[in-house]
Amino acid sequence: MALRRLIITLAVIVPLVALLAYGFFRDPRYIPSPLVGRPAPTFSVKLFNGEKVNLADLRGKVVFINFWASWCPPCIAEAKELEATWQRLKDQGVVFLGIEIQDTEVNGRAFVDKFGLTYPNGADANGRIAIDYGVWGIPESFFIDPDGRIVYKHVGGIGAEILAAKAAEARERIMTTKEGKGDYQSIR
Amino acid sequence: MKSAQLKRIFFGVLFLLLTPHLPTHSLPAAAPPDIEEQTRAIAAELRCPVCQNLSVADSPSELAQEMRALVREQLEQGKSPEEIRKFFVSKYGDWVLLAPPAKGFNLLLWLLPAIGALIGLLLVIVVTRRWVKRSSDGRLTTAMEAAAPPAVPRAPEAADVPMDVDSQRDFYRRERERIEAEGKEIEFDFQSGKLSEADYTAMRRRLDSEAAVTGQKLASMPSSPAPAQKRAPEKKPAAGGERRPLKTWQLAAGAVFLLLLGLSLGVVLMQATRPRASEQDTITGDFLTGTPGSGGGDALLAQGRAAFEKRDYGQAIEMFKKVLAADPNNPEAHAYMGLMLAQAGHTDGALSAFDRALAADPNFPVALWGKGMLLAQNGGDPREARRLLEKVSTMMPNGPEKSEVEKLIAELGKPAAAGNVAAPAKKPAPPPVAQAAGPAIQGVIDVDTKSKTSVDPQAVLFIIAKSTSGAGPPLAVKRIAAPKFPLNYTIGSEDVMMPGSVFSGKLFISARLDKDGNIATKEPGNLAGEYKKNPVDVGAKKIDFLLEPLK
Repeated sequence: MALRRLIITLAVIVPLVALLAYGFFRDPRYIPSPLVGRPAPTFSVKLFNGEKVNLADLRGKVVFINFWASWCPPCIAEAKELEATWQRLKDQGVVFLGIEIQDTEVNGRAFVDKFGLTYPNGADANGRIAIDYGVWGIPESFFIDPDGRIVYKHVGGIGAEILAAKAAEARERIMTTKEGKGDYQSIR
Repeated sequence: MKSAQLKRIFFGVLFLLLTPHLPTHSLPAAAPPDIEEQTRAIAAELRCPVCQNLSVADSPSELAQEMRALVREQLEQGKSPEEIRKFFVSKYGDWVLLAPPAKGFNLLLWLLPAIGALIGLLLVIVVTRRWVKRSSDGRLTTAMEAAAPPAVPRAPEAADVPMDVDSQRDFYRRERERIEAEGKEIEFDFQSGKLSEADYTAMRRRLDSEAAVTGQKLASMPSSPAPAQKRAPEKKPAAGGERRPLKTWQLAAGAVFLLLLGLSLGVVLMQATRPRASEQDTITGDFLTGTPGSGGGDALLAQGRAAFEKRDYGQAIEMFKKVLAADPNNPEAHAYMGLMLAQAGHTDGALSAFDRALAADPNFPVALWGKGMLLAQNGGDPREARRLLEKVSTMMPNGPEKSEVEKLIAELGKPAAAGNVAAPAKKPAPPPVAQAAGPAIQGVIDVDTKSKTSVDPQAVLFIIAKSTSGAGPPLAVKRIAAPKFPLNYTIGSEDVMMPGSVFSGKLFISARLDKDGNIATKEPGNLAGEYKKNPVDVGAKKIDFLLEPLK
C-alpha cells in the first residue's frame, strides 16, 4: 500500500520537477531560428564606402553575414578577429558582409575605422534586414552557401576557428542545424 | 443521500470556482478596418524578441518599434493579418507568437492547466467520499461491537503475556482502533478501485472476525467505572464525525465562502490582466485602492480646491477633470478650471469655462467673480464686468476682498479707467490682454557641420524651456518631428507642459534631437545643444544655438 502511494506520488512529482528543471535551465532569451536550411532573405545594403551590395549578386560564393552594433561589447570583442579571418579567407571565394543595426552611420564608420575593418560594412537603416534574418542577439552571424541557402547560424561571438571551419563547410554546402552560441548582447 | 447532496454542492462550488479562469482573452475575429487599430491588434499577438513577456504592441524597444512599422507597412500593402503573422513566424519561429499553436511540446502548455484542474477535481471528490465514509464507518463499528459473530482464531500476543485487566483492556481497545482504521483504508481502496472485489471481501471478512474477537474480549472483561467513563468521551469524536454532514448550514457557509473567493479571485484576475489605460493605471485600477473617486465628487472637489490653493495646478486640473467626467455641469469645477485657464493666459477658454459654470448656476460666486475680473481686466466688456462684479459683491462678506471688488466696480463706472485695472493681490490675476497671444522665445537651431550628414531624417527635435538650470521638469517643451535644419523656432505659452503654469521669467533654453522620439532614452547619435547665454527673458528673440553629438 505504502509502496503504491510512493509510486503514485513520484509519478506526479517527478515529471513536474523535470518540467521545471527544463524550463529553468534554458536561456529564456534564446530564440531558435527557423531560417537555417532555408534560402537566405535577399536584401541590398549601402556600404559605408558608398557602394551598394545586393545579396543576390553574391550567388556562387560563400557569404558570411555578421550583424553588429558599435554599442555591443561582444561585437567589439570579436571585431579584430573577424578582420584577421577575413584577411585569411578573402581569396578563397568567401565574402564577408558586416551589417550595422540599431546604430547610427557615424558610430558605424567610427567603429570600422577604429578596428581597421577592410571587409564590406554597411548600416541597416530601418532594421528591416535584421528582422528579415530574425536577429535578436548580436553579434549574430549567418553562413550562406553558394546556392544562396543559410547553412549555419551563430549567435554571439564566433571564434576564428569556427568561422573558418563553417566557411569551408558552407562551400561544400554542408548544413548545421544546431545553432552556435557565444557571448551575445540582446538587441534593443 | 447525504453524499449525493454533498457531491452536488461540491461540483457546483468547483464549477463556479473554476469558471472565472476558463475564458481567456479572445482576439477579435473580424479585423477592425482602421490600419492603426489593425496594427495594434497584430502587434499585440506578437512577442517582442528582446523583452521579457511583452507584446510588440506594448514594448518600447527599438526592435518592437521597427516591427510595428513593418506590420503597418505590410497592412498598407494589402497583406492580411494571417500573412503578416506567417511572415514573422518565418523569421522568428513560433516563438514570436504570444499564443503558440497547440501542437508538439506546446500542447503541454495548453493541456496542463486543464489536467491540473481535473486532478484537483478528482482529489476533492475522493476526499469528500472519504469524509462521508468516515462518518458511516463510525456507525458501522458500533453496530459490529453489539453483534458477536463466532470467534476466528487470531490470538493476540497479549494472551501469552500475563497482564492485568486494565492493560489488557487498553490493548484490546487499541486493537479495535487498529481494526477500524484498517477497515476504512480497505474501504477507501475498494471505492477508488485499487482493490478488487474478491480481495476486498476477503480482507473485510478477516477484519470483521478480528473485530468480533476483540469486541468479545472487551465485553468479557469486568466492566470498571473507568471504561464507562472512557467510552463516553470516546464516542464524542465519532458523534462529531457523524454530525458533520448533518450541519448543512456549515456546508452552505463553506460553499458561500468558496463562491466568494472564486468570484473575487476572478475579478482581481480580470482586473490584473486587462489592458492598462495609462501609465498610472495600477494592476487593480482604482478598484482596490479607491484613491480617485472614492469619496465621490465632493471629496474630489475638496482635493482640487486644496491643490489649487497650493498652486499645484496640474493636480487641481486632474481632480476637476474627474469631477467633470462624473458631473459635466458641475459649476465649481468649471469655475476653477476657468480661473486656472485665465491665469495661464487662455482668455477664451477661461470665459467659456465661466460661462458653463454660470449656465449651471447663474449665481455661482467664483464664476461671477472670475468672469467679472477677466472682463474688467481685458477691457472687453466693462458693463458686463460691472454687472457681474456687483452681483458677486452682494454675496461677499465684508472685508478687504469685498472692498477691492467695490473699488473695481467704481473704477469700471468711469469709462476711461476701463482698460487698466490692478488685480486684487490675493487672487490669481490673468495676464494683460496684450499677452493673450502668449509670450514666447524665438530663435534658430542648427546642427554642427560635422554631424550634419548623419542627421536621422526620422528623428524628433525637442525644444525645452526650463526655469532652473539643473534637473527638474521642464516648463515647456516643443516637439518637432522630422525637423529641417536650420530651423526657426518659437516656444511659448502654448507649449507649457502643465496647463496652468505661466510661461514667464528667466528660462533656460535647450534642445535635443532624439532618434527614436522617446526623450527618456538616450541613443547614440542623439544630438543636443543649449543656448550659450542661458537664462533668457521671455520675449527674447535670436536665441540661436547649435546641436552637437551627445557625449
